Amino acid sequence: MKFDKVLLVLTDDADQSIMPDAVQFCKNAGSRLFVLFVIEHNRIARLASLTQQKVKVVLNKTEEEGWKLLYLVEDDAVENGVWTSLHLEEGHLPQVANHYIESYGIDAMLVKRKDEFRRIFSTCPVPIVGL
Amino acid sequence: MQLKISECLKPEAIIMEIKAREKIAAINELVAHMVKNKLVSNGEEFIKALAKRENLESTGIGDGIAIPHARTNAVKDLILAFARSPKGIDFSAVDGKPSHIIFLIASPESKKSEYILALAKLSKLLRKHAVRELLRNAKEPKDIMEIIRKNEE
Repeated sequence: MKFDKVLLVLTDDADQSIMPDAVQFCKNAGSRLFVLFVIEHNRIARLASLTQQKVKVVLNKTEEEGWKLLYLVEDDAVENGVWTSLHLEEGHLPQVANHYIESYGIDAMLVKRKDEFRRIFSTCPVPIVGL
Repeated sequence: MQLKISECLKPEAIIMEIKAREKIAAINELVAHMVKNKLVSNGEEFIKALAKRENLESTGIGDGIAIPHARTNAVKDLILAFARSPKGIDFSAVDGKPSHIIFLIASPESKKSEYILALAKLSKLLRKHAVRELLRNAKEPKDIMEIIRKNEE
């Protein structure tokens, strides 16, 4: 099965070990890698409450961390000759991911924690590849 | 790590109205400007590194912004350059819109952490609609520098 466009979804609590694995997967499969970092509002509010910080402060930190992860993936991808496209969005994780899958004609999604992500992405319209 | 992107941008690395109408020509014009002002030692190597990335990704991040970037030893330190295109340039942006504001980032190969952080800080800053509008309407290089300085956190 050929996956031309592959989506890697990241969040602030993502297992970052998937990042080099995703690049290698795309290199071996000849896939284009779309990387999406999602800022989840519910989680930001919860984190702000837990750490007694302002929501704005947590949001700022999360956004910066998100861009850092995106550019780290991209740097590795360029080193490996893998085409990438970076995206950062705010919203509800499954909804944002599904929107991207439809908008960009994604063929498969890469995940690390397969079981947990299968639950989160129970409505995912494309195959989920566990790395 | 503390890093102020405003400290990486010098007035001589700013083009208020770029002449080029397409992305490789725009990159060439920006790099030539930087070489002329002695901000880059090896323009050819720098363009090669930038072009390599442009072939493998879209550096147009949407909302009229493009951030071409590269790690290359053609520069001695982390540097930033700015150009504005009133008509817009096709950087194959994720939203399909032309880029009017172009920030170029480069760092030596060895400064990966600073480079990633600068890209992250700049991308975050440019997601703010108000900042983009200020940059679009700025009159002089010193205004561009002041906008960045005032709005980075």
